[in-house]
Amino acid sequence: MQVLVCIDDTDNLESRGTGELASILAQVIEEQGWGKSFGVTRHQLLVHEDIPYTSHNSSMCFVAELKEDYLNRLIQFASDFLVHESAEGSDPGLCVLIPEKLSQREKLIMFGRKAKEVVLTKQDAYDLAKHMGIHLSEHGGTGQGVIGALAGVALRLSGTDGRFKGKLKIKSDAKIISVGEILSQTNVDAVKSLDGMVLKEDDLVELGDTLKAILMEGKCVLPVTAIETSESEGVRWQTCTKQQVRKF
Amino acid sequence: MYETAGEKILRGRLNLWKLNPKGEREFLGGQEDWKVAAKAAENCPAFMEDVEEELVADLLRSCYNCRNRRWTNLSFVCCRPK
Repeated sequence: MQVLVCIDDTDNLESRGTGELASILAQVIEEQGWGKSFGVTRHQLLVHEDIPYTSHNSSMCFVAELKEDYLNRLIQFASDFLVHESAEGSDPGLCVLIPEKLSQREKLIMFGRKAKEVVLTKQDAYDLAKHMGIHLSEHGGTGQGVIGALAGVALRLSGTDGRFKGKLKIKSDAKIISVGEILSQTNVDAVKSLDGMVLKEDDLVELGDTLKAILMEGKCVLPVTAIETSESEGVRWQTCTKQQVRKF
Repeated sequence: MYETAGEKILRGRLNLWKLNPKGEREFLGGQEDWKVAAKAAENCPAFMEDVEEELVADLLRSCYNCRNRRWTNLSFVCCRPK
């Protein structure tokens, strides 16, 4: 069965990031033979003076294909892991969602979108999680991270929010590569322009220094922009810079 | 010639920071003044590169990429140790 795992508020200014902890959890699932895990995504939540985030208020989520017997073991492991690995002063929260058991998908997604716009409370998160039968738990400090953890699974479930942790690695002698080659070398499902046009496999793309994928319509997408005047013939696209990907 | 706030800051004719009501140093350039944020980090002894997923500026050494920045609604505050 598919599960979405999200953690939030595990770090402080000196510690490892929440993304790294999410990656470790995803890796443990595979190492222990509990199932297979897929990319970690970062989801930006509201930045507001009434919210006690460390520096950016983002949560980190990943998808796993889990053997059903291991669900409770995963939740137990992740809970202990957050207790031991979260940084001093942090307020970690954990959410584990089983999408196939969810009956009010849109209501959950709405919570995620709201968490980007208004200040929500722990009670809001717990009430909704209980109502929907979603695992939501806190593991230290004020436990405020449960809000972001629930919002994170909601936003991942929405299919269009956030960017993938890590940089894509693409081998290319020249800095020019076809879309087909990008698809074959990476986990990217599609290469798209910022206005949503899907590039064809024989389209050529100029690679920038940092290659970041985003989550769009449930797919891992490499975003590109049009080149105004290209030095190489037939190359009309270039990968987005970090600054351009920031808004996702 | 008309000079933007960013250009004034770069030429040292305008302060980069203001003190907000909480007494924190808030960056005056907002969230997309890439040149000025890079300039501000250039000689900052407290610059500390953030984790990969939180890097947003193309030029690595930038206040926007610093672990000591805390984003606010319109800009960020610098949380470097005093």
